Amino acid sequence: MPPMGHLHMEHVLQAVSVLEAVILRSFGPEGGQVLFTRDTGQAMLSRSGTRILTALHLEHPLARMVVECVWKHSSSTGDGSKTFILLLASLLRLIHAAASKESNVSHSYNSTKAAEAATARHLADKLLAFGLKELDELIATGVVPYGGCISWEDFTVEGQTPSLTNNLCVQKLLRSFFHTRCGYTHCDFSSHLTCELLSHWKFKNQLPSFSLQLVSDYFPALHTPVSGFPVRSSRLIKGQVIHRDFATPPLKTDDQPVKAVVLTGLLQPTLLNTGDVLELGYGGRMKEERSILLFSSWMESSLQGVIAKLQSLGVCVLLSAVKQSAAVLALATQAEMCLVECVSEDELSLFSQLSGTTPIWDCSMIESEHVATLAFCRPIQLGAHRYVHVAFQDSEERITIKPCSLIICAPGEGQIEQYACALQDAIRMLLRMWEPMHAAATTTSKRTLQSHKSASLHTDNLTEQTTYRSTAIQPIQKCVLKSGCVISAGGLFELLLHHALLQHGHSCSVSPDLNIDASVSQLLANALLSVPQKIYSHSPRHFLESQRRVISFLSKFPNYSHPLTLVYKRESTISPIQAEGPLGDGKLSLHCCREGDKFSKVSELDLGLESVSCKYQLLLAVLQCVASLLKVDTVLPTHTALHTQSRRFARTSWEGTEDEGED
Amino acid sequence: MALNGDEEDFKWEPPTEAEMKVIQARRERQDKISKLMGDYLLKGYKMLGDCCEVCGTILLQDKQQKNYCVSCQELDSDIDKDNPALNAQAALSQVRERQLAAQSPAPSQASELNESPSSSQGNMSVPQPRPEHCEGAAAGGRTPLPPPAVPSPSTPASTAALAPARPSVTPQSAARRLVLQEAEEAVLTKLRWATNQLQSSASLEASIQLCSLINSCANSLRSLKELTQ
Repeated sequence: MPPMGHLHMEHVLQAVSVLEAVILRSFGPEGGQVLFTRDTGQAMLSRSGTRILTALHLEHPLARMVVECVWKHSSSTGDGSKTFILLLASLLRLIHAAASKESNVSHSYNSTKAAEAATARHLADKLLAFGLKELDELIATGVVPYGGCISWEDFTVEGQTPSLTNNLCVQKLLRSFFHTRCGYTHCDFSSHLTCELLSHWKFKNQLPSFSLQLVSDYFPALHTPVSGFPVRSSRLIKGQVIHRDFATPPLKTDDQPVKAVVLTGLLQPTLLNTGDVLELGYGGRMKEERSILLFSSWMESSLQGVIAKLQSLGVCVLLSAVKQSAAVLALATQAEMCLVECVSEDELSLFSQLSGTTPIWDCSMIESEHVATLAFCRPIQLGAHRYVHVAFQDSEERITIKPCSLIICAPGEGQIEQYACALQDAIRMLLRMWEPMHAAATTTSKRTLQSHKSASLHTDNLTEQTTYRSTAIQPIQKCVLKSGCVISAGGLFELLLHHALLQHGHSCSVSPDLNIDASVSQLLANALLSVPQKIYSHSPRHFLESQRRVISFLSKFPNYSHPLTLVYKRESTISPIQAEGPLGDGKLSLHCCREGDKFSKVSELDLGLESVSCKYQLLLAVLQCVASLLKVDTVLPTHTALHTQSRRFARTSWEGTEDEGED
Repeated sequence: MALNGDEEDFKWEPPTEAEMKVIQARRERQDKISKLMGDYLLKGYKMLGDCCEVCGTILLQDKQQKNYCVSCQELDSDIDKDNPALNAQAALSQVRERQLAAQSPAPSQASELNESPSSSQGNMSVPQPRPEHCEGAAAGGRTPLPPPAVPSPSTPASTAALAPARPSVTPQSAARRLVLQEAEEAVLTKLRWATNQLQSSASLEASIQLCSLINSCANSLRSLKELTQ
């Protein structure tokens, strides 16, 4: 855009269309993967929209704003970043078309472009208001009856309980998720592994969101990546794996309970730093011999006292957050204690939480509450590295959960990262699904409160620094959507909501004061259709067919309230091994299953499930992003970087040095 | 321009067929641009915050810090093909359009020109413009050389000169002679120009090239003279 010039809708549209073109080829169950390579030879493989978008070099402020929105949305829901961009692009196009039609009438602006921009802004605000107020009701009445509900108590691994609700289990949901993220080959295995992990971490008498939040927060400490092995060697392991090796020889006594202490400070504090001057005296009387040896022997004896105290408490394992001095290592070896140095903060906090102890800074003040009891503490060889494996002794408080860690194996580094990210996003998605809606709104509103002022809606002088908060600021009054709602994947949500919005629009157009609602819901309905269109982009015939089936079904049975499934049947008899391929030749049909139906063969080719609350959040986030984008009037170029590398770049190792060119 | 007040002047009407085609073409072009830009981004190009001054597309920057505009440098411009100065086809279509517009008063004078080449009412342009003329006009528009002299005032004079010599000539050979005369005129003009340039030229390379131009002009004149005889 011209310096200090006004922003036109075409600029916004072009920036978003380019991002859409980037992710379009990876979208859908048939989407491809993107391989990023660096000059150093490092490769990253990804199908996740967030990873692809954050790895691009973008200096355009609007594009950066959109990518930031996508990243924030994805870090809260774990999924839907490509759908976000698709919906954003189609909404912007429709708003642009509507604004250019309406802008000629009764506006006093200096140019048609300004009039267009004002109309577009107005429309976007109306859309957002509509989305915040009425969308959840529409979803609850128009979409949820055709889906199902997964409850936390039903959280069982498939195969153990061949129950009647076989078709609606968490595994199916996870299977379709992993299918789009990691490919068809290992989606079953990955979903099985995730279910196992989560079932081990189930806290009784707590909300599902509690344990899911715990697992999601501590996920970096809970998983160990091991490269060079096939994916099927991934497994769960009891206890916790600390990603460091022993600094002193490990304990000789295996399989006996040991006591451990977490240290955050130095055992032998450095009293002397560079530049300090030490004045040696000897009890106040000045003697001729002043020697540093006396000083160091005094230090050593104090250290020996500390170690003796630890021994008296029976401590054999020391987990230290910092690097201890050589004297400490020597004395610990002598006292037959093992020491692990430089353990990360995440792992130490997880350890403290699981063992019920607190870390200590100064060892001279050690009490029994700082001492943890472990079932064992031994080295473990995983791949090319040796780590420390600890297991916790069952105590009364923690008797419900059996903590376990995940070992993720994959042939290459890039694939490990892909699987680890996919697992973490899956857990976030489940967390979002089972979180009650109003609780979600209030927690996020607390988080966004401090940035409320900076994200103020008067953005006439918007500079590159403005960041966007992708969640609702005002809490939702009542939660209409139950937690745990799912619906069949493959675009059924969008088709049903499209139908519901059109009906709402028709009913609104009857009364004159709700006329604007009609146009708004029509706009949203048309924008929603772009998602299933792109899913079936390889054969538009299937899209039209599925749309026709859904609409005819809905008109025939308006009060049907059992789950619908979009099932894809292959016409030729191909064995399931070769089932991965283009969905080109086959028939799409709509199955209405009642409670108690069993799907045996059909479930293999089922397109899976997706969570309704994640979709609802996605829609809200897109509407907010549109409103923010269209509020920007001008972009002011600055000569210095206004903000340093943002947090997200620290996570991905791909944006290390490219951001310095910011100008 | 203030838009307040006059509402009846600005009612939205559905676009006409031609406008629809233009809109469709523009949309396709925008889609193509977006797709190309997306591919370049995935190849590692950087998306800048500036726009191209010519077409308004977002600029890309490659690893060698060179700016690149997708629509200007890759896609054919959608307005250049309508500019007669840059495109022979456009020039041809423009001349034909003008001809169609001037069709009704023209035919009588055109037939007169054919029957009596000695008539000196050479206001009309040559009846059937040939692509070579247009190419010449286009070439003349691109380069900073002076445009070739308009052939029409000289044509009646030359045909008048030729007419007494060959009163029974057929219209086809008269047309052919017209073409040859025009070609001769063009070459002579170029020769004149090259000579002028040669006199004022200071560099060795330029002089060599001008001499070779004069040589080729002389050759063309010789072959043209052979053709007329």
